[in-house]
Amino acid sequence: MSWIESANAGTPWEAVLGQRPELLARYRDFYRTLWDDALVSRRVLELCRLRIASIHGCAQEWVIRDAEVTLNDAELGALEQGEFSGFSPAEQVALTVAEQIPYAHHQITDAEVTELNRALGSPAAVALLTALAFFDVTCRLKLVLDVDQLPAELSEPPLREGALV
Amino acid sequence: MSTKPRIASAIAGAPADFGSVMSHTPNTTGKFFELYGEFWQHGVVPAELKEMTRVRNARITDCGY
Repeated sequence: MSWIESANAGTPWEAVLGQRPELLARYRDFYRTLWDDALVSRRVLELCRLRIASIHGCAQEWVIRDAEVTLNDAELGALEQGEFSGFSPAEQVALTVAEQIPYAHHQITDAEVTELNRALGSPAAVALLTALAFFDVTCRLKLVLDVDQLPAELSEPPLREGALV
Repeated sequence: MSTKPRIASAIAGAPADFGSVMSHTPNTTGKFFELYGEFWQHGVVPAELKEMTRVRNARITDCGY
């Protein structure tokens, strides 16, 4: 239970952010573009989102799944361990950068960003880096606000029936 | 961390600054600035307090931008 008073809403996350309805609306509109633009594959977004959730120990984010991305137990275990060798080369490039976003962003090298740019192209590289930053922000917010866990499988991430999960 | 842009500008002839690099994703960037504008133009937290925390956060994260 969050220590922030909840507004009426469909999910715990929206109940807290709903204290500022205008901000919630703009956050929702922005955050969903990370998926809607389809510049980065949903699988890469899901891998990176879960890895960042794991680094933060953010159960509220870890229990959410993209319904269109199937990850087996070995892959989920690898994400928890930070062991990326079983993923495709492009996924490894993305995960190598994602790994450093929460606590080691200064250690991201020119070479790693160059490789990301080469593997994905500039629009997708910018889209992914933006997504990584907001996966990080979302975990920090959920942890600081102590939002309740809501396991969810989303066909339209990050939304379920129009509400942020 | 590099202080030089690592991704080229999306706008022909424009320097690679935050706005021109983010323009590779115009939809996301447009929505981002709507969100960011909401932080600064409205709300219940005094602008001075938001500015203090913004500058402090930039210092802690060593963000020269």
